[in-house]
Amino acid sequence: MPNTPTSPAPYQLALQQLCDSALPTGAFAHSLGFESYIDRGLVRDEQSFGVWLSAFVGQQLTYSDALAIRFLYEGDALPELDSLLSAQLLPRQLREASIKMGGRLLEIAAEIFPSPDLAAYRELVSSGRAAGHQPLAFAVVARSLGVPLAETLAAYLFAAVTSLTQNAVRAIPLGQNAGQRLLRKAADDVAAAACRAGQLDRSDFGAVSPGLEISQMRHERQRARMFMS
Amino acid sequence: MAVHQFHQGALRILRPHYLDDSGQVCYVVVNPGGAYLGADLYVMDVEVADGAKLLLTTQSATKIYRTPGSFAEQRMRLRLGERSQLELAPDQVIAYREASYRQNTHITVHPTSSLVMSEVITPGWSPDGASFRYEELRLRTEIHVESGGNSGLLALDNLLIRPPQHYVTGMGFMDGFSHVGSLIAVDGRVDQELADELHALAGGHDAYTGVSLTATVDGISGLVLRSLSNSTGELNRLLGTCSALLRQRWHGTAPLNLRKY
Repeated sequence: MPNTPTSPAPYQLALQQLCDSALPTGAFAHSLGFESYIDRGLVRDEQSFGVWLSAFVGQQLTYSDALAIRFLYEGDALPELDSLLSAQLLPRQLREASIKMGGRLLEIAAEIFPSPDLAAYRELVSSGRAAGHQPLAFAVVARSLGVPLAETLAAYLFAAVTSLTQNAVRAIPLGQNAGQRLLRKAADDVAAAACRAGQLDRSDFGAVSPGLEISQMRHERQRARMFMS
Repeated sequence: MAVHQFHQGALRILRPHYLDDSGQVCYVVVNPGGAYLGADLYVMDVEVADGAKLLLTTQSATKIYRTPGSFAEQRMRLRLGERSQLELAPDQVIAYREASYRQNTHITVHPTSSLVMSEVITPGWSPDGASFRYEELRLRTEIHVESGGNSGLLALDNLLIRPPQHYVTGMGFMDGFSHVGSLIAVDGRVDQELADELHALAGGHDAYTGVSLTATVDGISGLVLRSLSNSTGELNRLLGTCSALLRQRWHGTAPLNLRKY
């Protein structure tokens, strides 16, 4: 009787480490705008955070992060994609968050998943020719590990959603089980976003809704806050 | 001084005139009789020469009628020379039921030039009085900084509203508002203090507004003001107050008075 194959895909455990919320990129310090909605009383419980999260996945993560990752996999030049993100992330704190977490990811990855592509991105950043954005850093590492695009997208988006939900659990606050229910629901949005990112074209890049952007901008001047963005 | 002008087809431009003695020449684009229709393509090319000052506006709102199976499109390329000034202040965009519209604006500035642009988008109009009955609005603006043969992308503002596919009025989209307004300023004098000042100024209006600095390219930054409200008039007042501050501060000129209505 043949044995049942039990060996994981070669990149499986690496991808899990890359997506673990324990990976110290500083994601715990960013609400990416939802703290403004908390301040206005619009995000205040499990249901209302779920509405925000769904909009964030369908807008920001689809039209900016996921599209940037796809374009990188399709062979677009890294310096151009990097400057496209710097130009499109109009709210300053959001741009800074992407660069800060991207920088940490590049640093950590250099120690655990070194590759020529990663070294090249780090060189672009250290010479001032690129800012070093989080989705691109993630995509460069995942691609070098041989992770197919569809899996990279799903993994990246779900990792982002997980960090945000953990932050909401602390900030609103919500119960731990509520956090898990939110994540399970968000899985459908993540799958739809990954699929949608494959159908959009270059003119769609960066089409983020005004409501999300304004909240991200207003966070700069919010008096009491727990998060850097 | 206007050195060259040319128009053909449905798009026209009025004879240039001066609103004050600042030397800023004012050009008014006359929107085509009625509105933009399906498969219409309007192309505008504007060159602001070194040291020149231009105000570009429209005669009335940009209206887009039904565009079944197609879309109306406006492509605009603007290039600003050294120490030149451009103020782009079109009337609001109104899309009617079943209208699709794409507006692509490509701007190239020099690190020494000064740009202020503003725009208001309304929820449209339909015979039954309901809003957001249009198919799709896409307004995409790219701003590049160019000097000595080098070019860098400073800002990409991409606004896409698709009422049939988005829950447009909901949280995380228009947050319960119906109108959106934007102002972008690119000038060597843009800094955090100015962004904070405009934010404070916007606070006096019945609108939900954010202001933030763009990235920096070649030593020059921009600021973006984005605002949601329920009224065209309120957004026009807000954007007018902000651009009046910039006119006064940077060019020593009085607030715009286009006397169009």
